[in-house]
Amino acid sequence: MLPEILISNSWLLLQGVERTLELSIATVLFSSAIGLLAALLRTFGWWAFRVVVDFYVYVVRGVPLLLLLFFMYYGLPYSGIDLAPIPGGILVMSVYFGAFMSEVFRAAIEALPRAQWDAARSLGMRLPLILVIVVVPQAVRLSAPAFINTCILLIKSTSLVSIIGLSELTMVGRQIVERTFAPFQILLGVALIYFLICYSLSRLGRYAEKRTRYAH
Amino acid sequence: MPIDNATVAPMVAFRGVSKWFGKAQVLKDISLSVAPSEVVVVIGPSGSGKTTLLRCVNWLEEYETGEITVAGEMVGYRIAANGERVRRSEREIATARAKIGFVFQSFNLFPHMTVLRNVAVGPIRVNKMPREMAETVARDLIARVGLADKADAYPTSLSGGQQQRVAIARALAMQPKLMLFDEVTSALDPELVDEVLGVMQQLARDGMTMIVVTHEMQFARDVADRIIFMDQGAIVEEGDPAKLLANPHSERLRAFMRRHIHGWARNLPRDPMTVGKNS
Amino acid sequence: MPSLLEGTVITLELSALAITAALILGMVIALAALSGRKAMTLPAGAFVQSMRNTPLLVQLYLVYFGLGMIGLGLSAFLSGLIALTAQNSAYIAEIYRGGLQSVGRTQIEAGKALGMRRREIFELIELPQAFMRVVPPLCNQFIQIIKDTSILSAIAVGELMHQGKMLSERTAATYEIFIMVGLFYLVITSIVTFATRSFERRFAIAH
Repeated sequence: MLPEILISNSWLLLQGVERTLELSIATVLFSSAIGLLAALLRTFGWWAFRVVVDFYVYVVRGVPLLLLLFFMYYGLPYSGIDLAPIPGGILVMSVYFGAFMSEVFRAAIEALPRAQWDAARSLGMRLPLILVIVVVPQAVRLSAPAFINTCILLIKSTSLVSIIGLSELTMVGRQIVERTFAPFQILLGVALIYFLICYSLSRLGRYAEKRTRYAH
Repeated sequence: MPIDNATVAPMVAFRGVSKWFGKAQVLKDISLSVAPSEVVVVIGPSGSGKTTLLRCVNWLEEYETGEITVAGEMVGYRIAANGERVRRSEREIATARAKIGFVFQSFNLFPHMTVLRNVAVGPIRVNKMPREMAETVARDLIARVGLADKADAYPTSLSGGQQQRVAIARALAMQPKLMLFDEVTSALDPELVDEVLGVMQQLARDGMTMIVVTHEMQFARDVADRIIFMDQGAIVEEGDPAKLLANPHSERLRAFMRRHIHGWARNLPRDPMTVGKNS
Repeated sequence: MPSLLEGTVITLELSALAITAALILGMVIALAALSGRKAMTLPAGAFVQSMRNTPLLVQLYLVYFGLGMIGLGLSAFLSGLIALTAQNSAYIAEIYRGGLQSVGRTQIEAGKALGMRRREIFELIELPQAFMRVVPPLCNQFIQIIKDTSILSAIAVGELMHQGKMLSERTAATYEIFIMVGLFYLVITSIVTFATRSFERRFAIAH
């Protein structure tokens, strides 16, 4: 049923998938850490943090990811910074998606009812404890659907690093096409693989959405 | 029952307390004294300031003039070395709050924690009690409010009345000197109200100092040592429950009672030992 | 510098065309998805899911290289436009759907109780409210479209990003060029955000 050409190149495609997943997982981890830190600093920290984080989010949301990737790839060598392309790609994507994650977490923190704060305060809890015990655990649950949606966008965006020459699924696909001149089958195959990964996540997201509604 | 009001230092004292929300004055020169082990019930129409009054005692709301003291310590402010009144630090406020139990109308249990953890988390994290000891205390309190079998359940699986009883246990776990109740049965279905009032009644018998904001007139009559009627931010009448409710002096209190017949009409003789009856 | 401006013009053209097309196509898909008839909801759903779960770059290559293979060779510009429209119309269809469904059932029931017919209810109650709710997410989508035009540089469409890349390859001033490009994008997206917010405010007052 599957076109012969996909099967004969399956090993390469799988390696591409592996790279894509590596990039995605690393980016999810770093961008979540950045995002959570940014959201907490912005909401509870000194007013200067709020300005910095808001500016960071504004810039990232207004500028294409590809620009940041080009900036890193073409620009950095001129400053003498020697950054290998893969860590560089992960860094840039983490900074980019860190801004999106911070908005996701910020919304979840702000969605927490004031009453939870009142209850924690009236037990004599102070801010650091309240954050750790009451706010963050609930915010993580509340943010699950939006978080998963952002992860899907993230996985799709890893395809852009092929433009700066990093090897992942899309790059592998293009290479096979150049060799075999069968763009339609190969690219459809590549699209199908992305679809399988992202669609499963989106189902997970819908499940998470149902569960968060039930729990509240 | 309180000892002798005149000779013992009050547990809570308001002296000339006022508070404004913008231009509107929500607390007008409130002066009030609550003796240790006394049960004071505050009644009044919505908007009368009774919830604000309660929330000022543990600084969930801030007051502007006058002073509130709890067990001799001023709430929210202190007198600095140069005699000026200065705001207390967050740490001092947190320490003070730990000694005051507050039960909310909407229970406010932590939904991501079991009943046991909800009750134990305060003693463990704030009072620095060792975990086993705190859990023992917690289980004991959970049993006292009649929910021993629910210790490992999550709040979402409990009824409103059960959640509220857990909320009371959670507040009690901190071993407070004083308990504040903010319309704790108003959000409950009628058949669940008694189980909560029963717990509160037992607490009163055990000698806890309590300030209770409520619409439950029967409870006020049975359990309160003193009733306070508030309207538009001021204390209009106060006194012995039976006398006050039978013969209200002010027209405002009379009007209020006419409108709140529902609590009053539930005048079947009540068995106080109803703890756990409806669970 | 002048090449960057040329690129900006192309970017704006692409964005405007893609936004318009996606708004229309998105509406068609949303209506199909809400029609209740399996013959329409299934293809619509399949379209939306495939567009949302595959990267724009891959779709772009499919249109540009894939169609070329069948003999339907399209220009880079047109391929890009098609890919942009297809991908974003799926997101916009979901935004429309979300907006319509978020109008509370009680509102619709209130209309029925007043004796309104289904179409009247739709026009007078659902549509105006859905309209207001749809504007903020649409604004985000417009910005996403503008940013996505940069991906077309991969097939050498002469928009802003491509011009920037070409320029940086010719000169050594990479930092300055890319910062300029970034500023251009930032200005465009800020204007769009501002315009959408003013539009929102004006309509909110009119209600």
